[in-house]
Amino acid sequence: MISFQLNGQRVDADVPADMPLLWVVRDHFKLKGSKFGCGMGLCGACSMLVDGQSTRTCILPVAAVANRAVTTIEGLADKDSQQLSTLQQAWVAHSVPQCGYCQSGQLISATALLNSNPAPSDADIDNAMQGNLCRCGTYPRIKQAIKAAAEQTAAAVHTFDPRQAEAKA
Amino acid sequence: MSQTNQARRLFLKQLGIVGGGLIVGLPLSASVNANSTTNAALQPNAFIHLSQSGEVSFYLPRSEMGQGTYHGLTTLIGEELDIDPARIRVHHATADTAFNNPEYDQQITGGSTSMKGSYLPLRQAAADARALLLLAAVQQLGVPREQLRTDNGYVLHGEQKTPYAELVAVAAQLETPQDVALKEPSEFKYIGKQRPRLDGHAKATGTAEFGLDIDFPGLQRAVLVRCPVAGGTVNRVDDSAARGMPGVTHVVSIHNGVAVVAEHYYQAKLAAAKLVIDWQLPEKLSQFSSAEGQAQFAQALDADKSHEAFKQGDGSKALNPASRVLRADYWAPYLAHATMEPMNCTVKIADGEMDVWVGSQSPGLAQGLAAFYSGISKSKIRIHSTFLGGGFGRRTASDYVGEAVAIAKASGVPVQLIWSREDDTRHDLYRPAAMARFAIGLTDDGRIDTWQVRRAGPNIMAYTVDEALDAMAPGFLPNGMVNWMSKAGYGLYDGWSLDHSSVEGLYEDYDASHKAVEHVTVDPGLPCGFWRSVGHSFSGFFKESMIDEVAVATEQDPVAYRLQHLSGNPRLANALKVAAEKAGWPKAGNSERRLGVAAHNSFASSVAQVAEVSLENGAIRVHKVVCVVDCGRVVNPDVVKAQMESGILFGLTAALHGEITLKDGVVQQSNFHDYPVLRMPQTPEIDVHIIDSNEPPTGVGEPGTPPIAAAVANALFALTGQRLRSLPLKLAS
Repeated sequence: MISFQLNGQRVDADVPADMPLLWVVRDHFKLKGSKFGCGMGLCGACSMLVDGQSTRTCILPVAAVANRAVTTIEGLADKDSQQLSTLQQAWVAHSVPQCGYCQSGQLISATALLNSNPAPSDADIDNAMQGNLCRCGTYPRIKQAIKAAAEQTAAAVHTFDPRQAEAKA
Repeated sequence: MSQTNQARRLFLKQLGIVGGGLIVGLPLSASVNANSTTNAALQPNAFIHLSQSGEVSFYLPRSEMGQGTYHGLTTLIGEELDIDPARIRVHHATADTAFNNPEYDQQITGGSTSMKGSYLPLRQAAADARALLLLAAVQQLGVPREQLRTDNGYVLHGEQKTPYAELVAVAAQLETPQDVALKEPSEFKYIGKQRPRLDGHAKATGTAEFGLDIDFPGLQRAVLVRCPVAGGTVNRVDDSAARGMPGVTHVVSIHNGVAVVAEHYYQAKLAAAKLVIDWQLPEKLSQFSSAEGQAQFAQALDADKSHEAFKQGDGSKALNPASRVLRADYWAPYLAHATMEPMNCTVKIADGEMDVWVGSQSPGLAQGLAAFYSGISKSKIRIHSTFLGGGFGRRTASDYVGEAVAIAKASGVPVQLIWSREDDTRHDLYRPAAMARFAIGLTDDGRIDTWQVRRAGPNIMAYTVDEALDAMAPGFLPNGMVNWMSKAGYGLYDGWSLDHSSVEGLYEDYDASHKAVEHVTVDPGLPCGFWRSVGHSFSGFFKESMIDEVAVATEQDPVAYRLQHLSGNPRLANALKVAAEKAGWPKAGNSERRLGVAAHNSFASSVAQVAEVSLENGAIRVHKVVCVVDCGRVVNPDVVKAQMESGILFGLTAALHGEITLKDGVVQQSNFHDYPVLRMPQTPEIDVHIIDSNEPPTGVGEPGTPPIAAAVANALFALTGQRLRSLPLKLAS
């Protein structure tokens, strides 16, 4: 029996310790949003947040997440209101997805990026997202949506910036 | 209609006649008439369903694989039904002739035809439904038709608003009126407007259902081991080790390999590695290696035995030995599709009936192939369509459906067949390799007089015939006979006509007094299929590089030289002019960079692209692509833009990385480390411009792909002086 947090809830899974986390989440917990793409950790379709880090779960034995926090695409929206995360809203507004298959993984990696770096440069975005493949070529829109979400979050936070305050005064 | 479409349509019609069971030419709006609806709902045709509780449903007849049919075709319905498309519930249509693509008389999503073929019929279907609702309102409200109008799901009479739902019961009793007029473009509320994709929410929340997401109690997973050389069969199998592995419930042999069925996919995969199989290798393909491949194709071009594909004027005879002739050979390799969602199919057989869940570009053929491999009649096979995790032509084939059905039948349990990425890379139906040899005869003043091109390579049709016959042969023919007919492959097909997709795009665009297009079939036996933009995927590179060579050789500007030869092609000429202007041709952004241009017609659309390229530490770096498209009237501008971005990046992967090679018939690539796909850091800025047009809509899913490799190669020539005539593009160090 392996216990971990899945989208904020403690869960127990009676599965073999070497079963990849992706298949535990998809087949045991029936959350189908995370996808199988390559089975070698090369494409990022299976990405989930493990303690906040974007992690390739098609090659991660479930035993490795014992007592850790796992967040999937299903855990990005607000649990009570079902309101989409800022990034998800930007994804919809910019019509990012095409076939959509890789997008769960893209959103997970983008979420990890903005959590650690709220104002990423183009190079930061390239660096954080290069592990997530998209065959439809949605990269330009992914980048736009990440920037839009970052700007929106920055605007909503109203951090006190003494230089801005000075400039206004 | 393009010549390709004509050829395909003729081909499919002929099969229909052979098969005796194909219903063709059914008018879309008449496929299910009002008589079949009940008081509870209005279903004036196969596409639209209105319930009394207010639900408006649209049965989407074309597959959604990223290209935007879900959004685009729903926009057409919303427009003529006069209801916000976001209020329409969209269902993926099942396999039924009512959902046939009018361009092919088959239920196929391909050839960039979805909007082109649906623009009028789907609008008509929705306009008919709206007319019925208005007729019902006349009866129910007792007011003349002239005093009624509609808006977003309501019939309006002065201040009185009646929801469509309240008119459904009466409307369902009425005959669909004839000759209902469509809206004038000036009345459009949704067509041509910028709106977020309707499938965006589901795809940003992980709730969009793909084939791989199908699950139900008792479903088992299957992994199939196929012969490393395509077409090989099993001599002997030792499955004792595999059977002992955890979770394994069945090991079964089917037509093309041995399948392991287990509780979980990863268990089936681990067990499949334990199978020891002795294969009967196919003789021809197992003797082919890519190292000698190009030489083999070149020899075939030397041999002077070819089919005439097209001739204009005096053809090759016009190549005057006294005048200047430019000659060059071009090469493009086999390519895999590498859809992000590997092939998969879920099958449940019970009580002589079958359910098949699959993301397919051709659900009708999938149903036919399911019948062929199960012996269950098509009328007892239900196809449940899902979103497709990428298609690019790969999912027009149903090989994986046949496999899943055969495994379910042999094992006796419901199975989901899942291809690994390695299976997907090694057992694709590949974009055929191709070699083209140009001889361009020039007039004294440097204009093109004779355009001669000869192409060597495999034909896709030989492989589609095989599967289509299996899928469409009538039930009374024994399988053995169908097998014989389909395996006759080239013999059967050669006598029909040339596969136009083998030469499409090589010769059509530029003016020349004389043209000669010839074809030599060279086919090592690796299965081939439709790959985004089909023949144009290589011919765009060949033709647009060659014209650049000619412009350079005659010391003329590549844009101006093209324009001189586009008098018969005003839309392409215009797209090219606009692209050059938007890109600031001929000057690149800085002195380290150069521009390259390409322009190409495909799928009835015109696309011109200018690529800005430099070298970074000796590696090719594409900074920016300006793209101009003329695709007629635009239904969803943002989808057109997205498809240009998509087509460019798909083509850029092929230009910079794509290459499938064989050794003794075995595909050498396996996964994304050795068959790389473009990643975000390599992605250029893309600037798309759409030509404003009132012409009927044409394709956008594919036309963005053909020009990009040539635009980059032409920029590399300007930058380095190296003329790269092979894909993928590799500079000499």
